Amino acid sequence: MTVELGPGAPRSLYVHVPFCGRRCPYCDFSIHVGGDQLQERFTKAVVQELRGLPSDGPPLETIYFGGGTPSRLLPGRLAELLAAVHSRFRVASDAEVTMEANPEDVTVAQARGWSELGFNRLSIGVQSLDDRALAWLGRGHDAAQAEAAVEAAREAGFANLSCDLIYAVPGQTTEVLERGLRRLLAHHPDHISCYELTVEEGTPLQRDIRAGRLPAPKVDDFLEQRRMLGGVLGEAGLELYEVSNYARPGRQSRHNLTYWQGRAYFAVGPGAHGFLGAAEGARCGLEPQGAAVRYWHLRDTATYIRAIEAGRVGWRGHEWLGEPTLAMERLACGLRLSAGTKVTSPEQLRRAHELGRLGLLAIEGHRVRATPRGFEVLDRITLELISA
Amino acid sequence: MTSPKLSRIRNFSIIAHIDHGKSTLADRLLELTGTVSARDMTAQILDTMDLERERGITIKAQAVRMPYRAQDGQDYELNLIDTPGHVDFAYEVSRALAACEGALLVVDASQGIEAQTLANVYKALELGLEIVPVVNKIDLPQAEPEAVAEEIEEVIGIAREQCLMVSARTGAGVEQVLEAIVAKLPPPRGQSDAPLRALIFDCKYDSYRGVVVYSRIVDGSLHAGTQIRMMAGRGTFTVDEVGVFRPGMEAVEELRAGEVGYVIASIRNVRDSKVGDTITEAQRPAVEPLPGYRQASPMVWAGLFPIDSDSYQDLKEALERLQLNDAALTFEPETSAALGFGFRCGFLGLLHMEIVQERLEREFNLELITTAPSVAYRVHMRDGTTQEIDNPDQLPDPAQLEWIEEPRVKVEVVTPREYLGQLMELCQERRGEFIHLEYQPGDRALLTYDLPLGEIIHDFYDQLKSRSRGYASMDYQLTGYRKEQLVKLDILVAGSKIDALSAIVHRQQASNQGRRLVQRLKEVIPRQLFEVAIQAAIGGKVIARETVPALRKDVLAKCYGGDITRKRKLLEKQREGKQRMKRVGSVEIPQAAFMAVLSLDR
Repeated sequence: MTVELGPGAPRSLYVHVPFCGRRCPYCDFSIHVGGDQLQERFTKAVVQELRGLPSDGPPLETIYFGGGTPSRLLPGRLAELLAAVHSRFRVASDAEVTMEANPEDVTVAQARGWSELGFNRLSIGVQSLDDRALAWLGRGHDAAQAEAAVEAAREAGFANLSCDLIYAVPGQTTEVLERGLRRLLAHHPDHISCYELTVEEGTPLQRDIRAGRLPAPKVDDFLEQRRMLGGVLGEAGLELYEVSNYARPGRQSRHNLTYWQGRAYFAVGPGAHGFLGAAEGARCGLEPQGAAVRYWHLRDTATYIRAIEAGRVGWRGHEWLGEPTLAMERLACGLRLSAGTKVTSPEQLRRAHELGRLGLLAIEGHRVRATPRGFEVLDRITLELISA
Repeated sequence: MTSPKLSRIRNFSIIAHIDHGKSTLADRLLELTGTVSARDMTAQILDTMDLERERGITIKAQAVRMPYRAQDGQDYELNLIDTPGHVDFAYEVSRALAACEGALLVVDASQGIEAQTLANVYKALELGLEIVPVVNKIDLPQAEPEAVAEEIEEVIGIAREQCLMVSARTGAGVEQVLEAIVAKLPPPRGQSDAPLRALIFDCKYDSYRGVVVYSRIVDGSLHAGTQIRMMAGRGTFTVDEVGVFRPGMEAVEELRAGEVGYVIASIRNVRDSKVGDTITEAQRPAVEPLPGYRQASPMVWAGLFPIDSDSYQDLKEALERLQLNDAALTFEPETSAALGFGFRCGFLGLLHMEIVQERLEREFNLELITTAPSVAYRVHMRDGTTQEIDNPDQLPDPAQLEWIEEPRVKVEVVTPREYLGQLMELCQERRGEFIHLEYQPGDRALLTYDLPLGEIIHDFYDQLKSRSRGYASMDYQLTGYRKEQLVKLDILVAGSKIDALSAIVHRQQASNQGRRLVQRLKEVIPRQLFEVAIQAAIGGKVIARETVPALRKDVLAKCYGGDITRKRKLLEKQREGKQRMKRVGSVEIPQAAFMAVLSLDR
């Protein structure tokens, strides 16, 4: 028996703000460097896109402004965007409203302004508290600025604060990483995302590594540093709840959990990815051919803006998913969570038990979850289970 | 239409090395005689299979009749019988030659005579054929026609002035080739009123008409309604149609002694019309068959297994289809613990095997795992019986067997002298025994070795080519069997024996080979979630061991945002790759592993 688990009605909204002061050499997201003169047209385009979304569903539980660098958007534009969200949707009173910010943009005054606009969670792109690593990563701030940003956000009243870190950066030792982590923990962040440095196709970093100008990240560093991070963060009361995310109890990112739990979300802005059930998809103009639909926007900011201005849709592609694909996605995404997920077939359960015997999965009934060692080879575990 | 007089018929073949321009010359002859108009000319008409065109080799023999008015004002009928061009098909070549009175020897003016060409020339001389040497590609800047003519004179003994200088590409000198065929090649002899004897030199399966037999009438005549039988085979058939190729099939009233053409007689299976066999009349049979018939028998065996076990039936049907047109291909069901259900197939040689494999994949859309090829060993048992074992895994327990014999071949290699050292070294490494070395004009040498067949079916040819920078060529023929100290080498992965990886090797080379094989397997078996031991064993005793360490990291702990699609697509792709592997116990083994033995560096 297959239980139909559609993604439900969307209760989350992602807004992509592409503007950045520079292109970090490792980044392959949809961003727009400089071009602040586009801000006004961008804002109008997003507002227009928001107006086209079906709005009679349940109230939004999470809103996430990601980037790019949303903190580069003038407060007036952010206000315009949030106003459009509120005029289109009901928003739950306890909704999680996150904004990503770069340390160099965060001052007490700025942060206070964001808080007044209604943002209640700030995610700061700290990346490292080691100046050498920051330089290697091509970031526009130093360690002191990063610490100051965290302080400023606290002072401005952000009770829910997240920081991003990047590890397995070539040349950075585990000791240096740990020193930086402990400095960061002194500011008591509620949530830390620890991402390994990944070398993405087409990035300047990939070109440099391929040409031998820069060393590639090492597996040994990854393993040693990941284990250190888990230990130190655990002691500090931040528990791993997703492959790359650690939080104090109750401070998990509700928005990101939406992704991993396979629930629906709207998305607006260049390059943004959304996920809707058949009904909402149909109302966004996508003719239903499955139980749910994933869609993605035009990646180039100017192209996106022109499309919207011309009265066309802002997305570039979509894909309808049937139940087997959805089941596979649920499994793949669910395994990323510490809470794990349920396997559905006897073959999968049998394979899960084989992996359990190798110490990679913990199994209770039909629920499987990765052990700490299992997380280090999670993609293979996922492949094993989906191929069972 | 009436048959021409014997004196106006010329039956000939073209002997040439791959790429020396046989097909291009044939095309020019067809054009010049008006058999095919330049307009209808698809490049290289005779090679009809895609595979033949791509590889530039002829797999099946072809025949074509060309009308030609010679300078003497007479009309002639020229029958070109095109022969397969590879060492695997040596027997087929000899039968096609036997259907002719003469042959054009085509040699590339920039390359000289190659080993295979030489072997075929000797074959033609043995059969009493007249040879007309043609030096081709004289238009090439690096051409040395005089040197090549000298080589022909010294090696084959045909005066250099006899060589025709030709460029098949530009057409220069081609007219003289036609004149030489008429003037120098003898007309066929034969008695039209004697009992029928017709040589089968090839056949093909046509799904509408059954088997089309390619034949040279030696004595007697054939027409629709004749009751025929095959002298080595069995069964009687009634001829439905006889005809000639010009180049398409064209029915004629009668085929008479000396002529070349086709016979259709509701023959259902190519096995009933074996190459080399003699067709005779059922009512008035000939006393003696034509000489030289032998059963074309496989020399090399390998297991073919579908990657997707559901395709077993499809594979069976595909093999049956191929067999309709390929009497040398044999197969029987084989079950492997590692690879499931498949077929043990016999081939004439490695090229034949590759061709069959490629056609199965290309024309029948099958995905296959092929095991390393093996030869047939003669196993003498304690109880006095003898078994032929072509699958190493089936070698009986050493306690039950007395001794093992392996097939040996005489290998002839023609090479520029500077590579002699490397090539002799290669032969020594493969347990070869030196027989003869002969220096030839120019800077070339003919090297003859006695080698175990099992040693040349792996990468011998590739090694020959790479150690001679592509200049050496080879030919081989089976000479017999010899008793050797042979043992079975087993491979164990994670403690389970992989039957498809067993090999029969010489005792002295066993530990060396076992070590290299486990090292190679370590390279091709990807890391798994646990440590995997790879062992080589002889009779239960482990002689080499390697370990594939467990996977340490396989996760992307990165920021995906909401882009789940990208992650899913990657997973789907990986899942496909995974499904192409064979799961043995809990270990996943890629296809490449089953051929690992082929790519061992010596």
